[in-house]
Amino acid sequence: MTSLIRSPLTIVWAFLTTVTIASSFISVDGGAAHQINTTVTTVVLLIAAVKAYLVIQHFMEVRRAPRWLKLTTSAWVLGLFTLLVGFYFAGL
Amino acid sequence: MTDVAEGSAAGVDESVVGARGHVPGESSMWFFVIGDLLIFAVYFVGYMYFRSQHQDLFLQSQARLNVDIGAVNTVLLLTSSLFVASGTAAARAGNSANALRGWAIAFAFGAAFPLLKLFEWIPEITAGLTPGKNLFFMYYFVMTGMHLCHVALGLVIMCFVIRNLKTAAKPKMSLVETGATYWHMVDVLWLVLFALLYLMR
Repeated sequence: MTSLIRSPLTIVWAFLTTVTIASSFISVDGGAAHQINTTVTTVVLLIAAVKAYLVIQHFMEVRRAPRWLKLTTSAWVLGLFTLLVGFYFAGL
Repeated sequence: MTDVAEGSAAGVDESVVGARGHVPGESSMWFFVIGDLLIFAVYFVGYMYFRSQHQDLFLQSQARLNVDIGAVNTVLLLTSSLFVASGTAAARAGNSANALRGWAIAFAFGAAFPLLKLFEWIPEITAGLTPGKNLFFMYYFVMTGMHLCHVALGLVIMCFVIRNLKTAAKPKMSLVETGATYWHMVDVLWLVLFALLYLMR
């Protein structure tokens, strides 16, 4: 198991888990009033985008995959979260 | 992040991380995964659009969700994905024992997800929070329900991978990588759902 602990995958996992817990606290504390909160929303959506990107790159091994796959998956993350943030702010 | 593989001091050990330019698993699975990602993206953007039309309803409804279970389930899937990824690397390196152990642990973490979903849904439904309650709960149950179907299928695929790792003299890498790709996609979709349904305000 020592090889797993030192593996780059584990470092990615530790980061993903840490920001998951952080984003929960940000939402529960910052968004406790259950009113519109652009700071909380921007931060949690940004964290979700980074997490999705890291899982695709490192766990799905896209970072070593052909260019078309890197471009398609990165375009999905970027396009989706641009639309989500765009619709959120457009609807305020 | 470096490319240094497990245990090797320097350089890239391609027997572990896979060759550069290699598509992990079957191309047909990637075709399915990208299609699925696009379909879910339409649901996600649709959710955001209707949310903007009914801000207060969505904010008040979100207050009734169990963020703790949502967060624990996120960590469960991330951890399951870690063991799938390390189990896949072990299979590629020819270490069947580590591969089997990794996938078996991944299955255990993955199987806990639907179990916790029950503990989340049953109190909600008995409290009258059903898909018919309002637009938010319609989206909530349809999206998490569709995701749960993906989790269920993922667990079945994991059983096939585990069986292959148990019985085959040499793991069938295309099967292992295809299963891994599908399971990580289930993880990615949940990460977005968690932010949209539970966390954003």
